[in-house]
Amino acid sequence: MPEQQAANGKPFDPVESFREMRDNYLDSWAKVMVDVINTDAYAKASGNMLETCLSMSAPFRTAVEKAMLQTLQQLSMPSRNDFISLAQRVSNVEIKLDDLDAKLDRIEKLLTKTPSAERPRPAARPRRPAPVGAEERKG
Amino acid sequence: MADVSAVPEPLTGIEQKVLTFTKAVNEKIPIDQTPREVIWTLNKTRLIRYQPVLPASQRHKLPLLLVFALMNRPSILDLRPENSYVHYMLHQGYDLYLLDWGIPGPEDKDLKFDDYVLDYLTRAVRKLKSFAGVEEFSMLGWCIGAILSTCYAALRPNDGLRNLILLTAPLDYSNPDMTFARWIKEPNFNVDLVLETFGNMPGQMMDAGARVLKPVENYIGNYLRLWDNLDKPAAVQAWQAMNTWVNDNIPMAGGAFRQLVTDLYRHDRLIKGQWYLRGERVDPAKIKANLLTIIAEADHITPPCMSKTIIDRVSSKDKTLHYIHGGHIGIMVGSSANRVTWPYMNDWLAPRSE
Repeated sequence: MPEQQAANGKPFDPVESFREMRDNYLDSWAKVMVDVINTDAYAKASGNMLETCLSMSAPFRTAVEKAMLQTLQQLSMPSRNDFISLAQRVSNVEIKLDDLDAKLDRIEKLLTKTPSAERPRPAARPRRPAPVGAEERKG
Repeated sequence: MADVSAVPEPLTGIEQKVLTFTKAVNEKIPIDQTPREVIWTLNKTRLIRYQPVLPASQRHKLPLLLVFALMNRPSILDLRPENSYVHYMLHQGYDLYLLDWGIPGPEDKDLKFDDYVLDYLTRAVRKLKSFAGVEEFSMLGWCIGAILSTCYAALRPNDGLRNLILLTAPLDYSNPDMTFARWIKEPNFNVDLVLETFGNMPGQMMDAGARVLKPVENYIGNYLRLWDNLDKPAAVQAWQAMNTWVNDNIPMAGGAFRQLVTDLYRHDRLIKGQWYLRGERVDPAKIKANLLTIIAEADHITPPCMSKTIIDRVSSKDKTLHYIHGGHIGIMVGSSANRVTWPYMNDWLAPRSE
């Protein structure tokens, strides 16, 4: 409809103007919220809340952990700590293997760097006596 | 009985939109799809080599090692083929490696920056050099990964690191007005109690902390953006990819988190050259690699003041400080990443990789 044409020639869109209003409102709200969370009061309040939650739940957590540990012991099953120590030992073995890998790399590099002329020749092995009948078998 | 066909058309349209919205929010789409091989592992850490797309004769001589943060998955570097830093750099001819720290378990709660830098990173670099058959390499560290890379560059300046790119690097904690600093200063935040309770710092807690920095944008604006773009499949896919990454939170090893809070946020030891890892002093002045520091102008997680001072502390002769318009993550995955950030990094790195 011609009366709904905006100045730029586009049809009037009520949703678009609602969206603009919404975005402007959110922008100003966002600025206020950023100011709020950047205050010492907010920092203190959130810290206190976290500390209270964790402190209050600590006795229950400890009780559950103890009960679980006793149950696992009675069932002759490994506990979380057993798995942790096992995993740490595996990591230590991995580090040792990586050390070995590094040493092998260094040795390989040294061998490839040494020119063939300079490379010490392996000592000549004493020849084994040929088994009896070897020559004959060769034909 | 009600006649369903009598429901007005606008309402069925809204119903359809709600269904699409719900599906988009709850559906995880595949990300991190570039072909790769794992060439080294230690504990949960994996050194990954992405399959090169150009023949060796067209590739740069120096490989590039990507080091990402400890508390997020590195898949942000490879979201979707059309929005992937990994994909882009492979096509620019880099031999590309990624150090994926993995997900720390309860057995890793004592891992510290000391271990990450001097065991994991150092060993991974050795393996990379041996695998690629090179003596020199480049490294890109992003966020906490930039802290690790800086420590490595300072502690092992003669190990072949030629080029160092620091991306939104939180290195200078001297400004007490930063929001995070305010939150976790004493006595507001009891780090001992948190780690005693959880062992590692839970990913959800860190994610919540990061989101609360911009609560309206993250908890409301983000979903409104999806709602507004539901009729654009490409925009929905991009949103889903980002949402998949954002919700893939991982914990941070307790020991490292304690150091982040006490040594860095509370005592600012790194930039002052007063931080010791296994008795070795991390002295930024020992860094001599070519250095590019990229700062996101609108970064609310690592404000620019945290990243800019390093440039004056290093001994590197070739050093560049560069500002890019955008946020902490946006500069690497936003709509302008492949037009601004990635080409800039490539232009800097390519001539230094020969």
